[in-house]
Amino acid sequence: MYPIFEIPVVGGPILMAAIATFHILPSHLATGAFWMTYFIERKAIQEDRPELLEFLKKFSLSILIFCFVTGSLTGVGIWFAATVISPRAISGLIHTYVWGWATEWVFFVIEIVAIYVYYYTFGKIAPKLHLRIGFIYAVAAWLSMVIITGILGFMMTPGKWLATGGFFDGFFNPTYWPQLCFRTAMMFAIAGTYAAVIAGAMKNGGRDTIRKISGRWGLGGLAAAGLFAFWYYHSLPTNAMENLQSIAYVEIMYKLAIVIAVVMAIYFFLLAIGQGRFVNVWVGSLMMVVLLAGVVGGESTREFVRRPYLIPGYMYSNQIIGHDFDARSISSEVERFNSKGLLASHPLVPTDLKAITEENYLKTGEILVKVECLACHTLEAGGRNSLADILDGIDAESAYYLLEDLERTYMPPFAGAGPERRAAANYLAVVAGGETGTADWVVAGE
Amino acid sequence: MGNELFLQTMRDPLGVPFYPIVFQGLSVMTFALHIIFVNLVVGGTIVAIWGHFSQHEWMRKLSRSLARITTINISIAIVLGVAPLLFVQVVYDPLWYSSNVISAWWTMVFLAVLIIGALSMYVFYLRRKGGQQRAGLFGLITICCLLVAATIIHALSMQALHPELWQGWIFGGTDMDTSGWGLHAIEIGRLFHFLAPALVNTGIFLMLYAWYFEKRDDVDMMELQLVANLGRKLAFYAALVTALVGLWWLLFLPESLSFMTDPTIHSGILLSLILIAVLYRAGRAPSQYALLCGLFSFLTVFIMTISRESLRMAYLKPFSYSIYDYPQTTDWGSTILFLATFLAGVGVVVYLVRIAFNAGRGEYAA
Ligand code: HEC
Repeated sequence: MYPIFEIPVVGGPILMAAIATFHILPSHLATGAFWMTYFIERKAIQEDRPELLEFLKKFSLSILIFCFVTGSLTGVGIWFAATVISPRAISGLIHTYVWGWATEWVFFVIEIVAIYVYYYTFGKIAPKLHLRIGFIYAVAAWLSMVIITGILGFMMTPGKWLATGGFFDGFFNPTYWPQLCFRTAMMFAIAGTYAAVIAGAMKNGGRDTIRKISGRWGLGGLAAAGLFAFWYYHSLPTNAMENLQSIAYVEIMYKLAIVIAVVMAIYFFLLAIGQGRFVNVWVGSLMMVVLLAGVVGGESTREFVRRPYLIPGYMYSNQIIGHDFDARSISSEVERFNSKGLLASHPLVPTDLKAITEENYLKTGEILVKVECLACHTLEAGGRNSLADILDGIDAESAYYLLEDLERTYMPPFAGAGPERRAAANYLAVVAGGETGTADWVVAGE
Repeated sequence: MGNELFLQTMRDPLGVPFYPIVFQGLSVMTFALHIIFVNLVVGGTIVAIWGHFSQHEWMRKLSRSLARITTINISIAIVLGVAPLLFVQVVYDPLWYSSNVISAWWTMVFLAVLIIGALSMYVFYLRRKGGQQRAGLFGLITICCLLVAATIIHALSMQALHPELWQGWIFGGTDMDTSGWGLHAIEIGRLFHFLAPALVNTGIFLMLYAWYFEKRDDVDMMELQLVANLGRKLAFYAALVTALVGLWWLLFLPESLSFMTDPTIHSGILLSLILIAVLYRAGRAPSQYALLCGLFSFLTVFIMTISRESLRMAYLKPFSYSIYDYPQTTDWGSTILFLATFLAGVGVVVYLVRIAFNAGRGEYAA
């Protein structure tokens, strides 16, 4: 177990979500854009249209700066944010998938070398060779998606991994193939949307061609994505479906996704039939934002679906291992904490705080609540999913009974031995501004 | 802390999927490559700023060239930094994660300044390319950002080496510290010893730059010679400074680490002395010695990276923490997946770099 990082009022998950949202555009662009680049460059060579090459130069520079500075750093940012918010979950993922990530890293290296070589050799090497470099980039970028999808899917539906602990059992999990197809299709839609933005910034010929191409790619990608989304939805396991149906937010997102899909489809259609003259940089960017809003909705739903777990069936959102994992001879920590105490088991808690006494019961109560609840709640009144608000005025004894029976479909049980539960309950009463218990009650139960 | 074995209980119960020494080896190798590019970024930025404010036309031209190269090097440094970051978390997870959580907001600051620094380097490069000369400020922003980032990542690594202090940092005050604003362990000597080589490697880079472009017939040889001479001087004096800082830092390391008798540090010192000698000798014809200097500098950095790892092991000895007894559940499938991809990847990268190398010799960097 690790130290705790608390973000008052807004809570840790928001930090993750903020960075992840920011990362969505560059990461999807980095994978999708070069298929289109390849297609356009081939056309430019075959039909001898230098103005299209001009477009490609601009296009690839913008991708280079945007994706390989902001994109790669926000990618590392998600990783760091996850690290400081739930180190044990990141650790679990890394200890299962280190070779997966390392493989993805190889593709990442290829991408970065390829894109720089591509950009700086425009017009300096044989066109065929240049085309090939673009192709290498496109393939490497897509392969990195092939890898990361396995890990993302694993976090939602670990599948047979729970029985075997095997790398590929978790990698090719129940949602892998539908997710990979869906993401691949979306990649083309996003590339189309972005190309329309860059085309909007162009003055000369070529612009109309690019617009038509982006409309066609966008429409095709979107239609395919719709089909795959259907498949994806039906591959979700029952507990994920229950989660989805019990959360109002998901309902809203679902409707939003449909509206966005319709709007985007009309937009792409107009571009494809050559009616895209109204699309300047601003309109194009606006449509990009619209499309991304849909993606953000989808990605955040994924987070909801895994509750109350970080790794379903293994580790709870508060980083406590919730179930025996026989394939690796790991036993549930909930049971251990219930019998031996969480504080006594926590490697960083000082000796004088390991057992609950009249002197330390406030401090230990605080530690327990922060360890077990901060993953999803804040403590300040008015904060996000705030315990002060939820428990408004609760007294220590009622809080104690609440903790005894805390487990919900979206929330893990409270783990801790007898006096620990009372210490936590007492601290909850402090947070909620209710009647606190006496030191005697906390320590001895009377 | 009472229980010296607590670090072991913090290890991930899932264990590692292959021999820990392989992760250690990969981490050392990729870190060496990463730090060389970090050196080039820091040094390149400094020289680019210097050139920007210089009176000499050739220095200003060099500055523009370096700014462009630095934008590329930043991306490469980032991607190369990802690998050691991954591998360190495999075998040193208790250390790295604890340190990160204690300094949670600083990890965010680290990334924010890197983004700002990198983007402002792009502005520094693109603006002057377009003829605007008042972009010096952006270079200065970049270097400030880089130094802040260096200090943060240094502190994160140092905190990881002092598990005995964590408890005090977290529980030492009246309240438990969950703020994520702790930044506790900065060792100036060590930080400087990481920063000073930036100028050594950038100096050698300038020598290589001259060597590379000499082969072209559209170049100003006088100018290239000036660049090579500047690089040689820079590298030579910076190497002396680096060595002195290194010795000074070494003398103040706790004796209990008995690092002075570590064979890897001896090899590192020996190599750095050879490098200094070669750099001295290179005064005769800098660009002709460029490759040799590059080779020795690379070797020195590589061996020093090994001795950095050896120092980490020394720090962790009192905790009986050795990565070699990390519980292991070998997973051949995924190991082979990586190794095969890695080998293929090296092939592709070599292929691409060769294309760029040949194409570049056909044109002088503007
Ligand atoms: C996996 C995330 C998660 C963790 C960890 C978690 N909760 Fe919750 N909790 C939730 C969610 C989600 C809700 C529902 C909020 C809503 O209805 O808007 C909730 C609701 C509650 C409620 C209201 C229950 C009800 O039935 O109406 C209480 C009380 C509560 N949490 C207490 C706690 C305490 C105390 C802890 C720490 C011991 C904790 N929670 C840990 C996610 C979590």
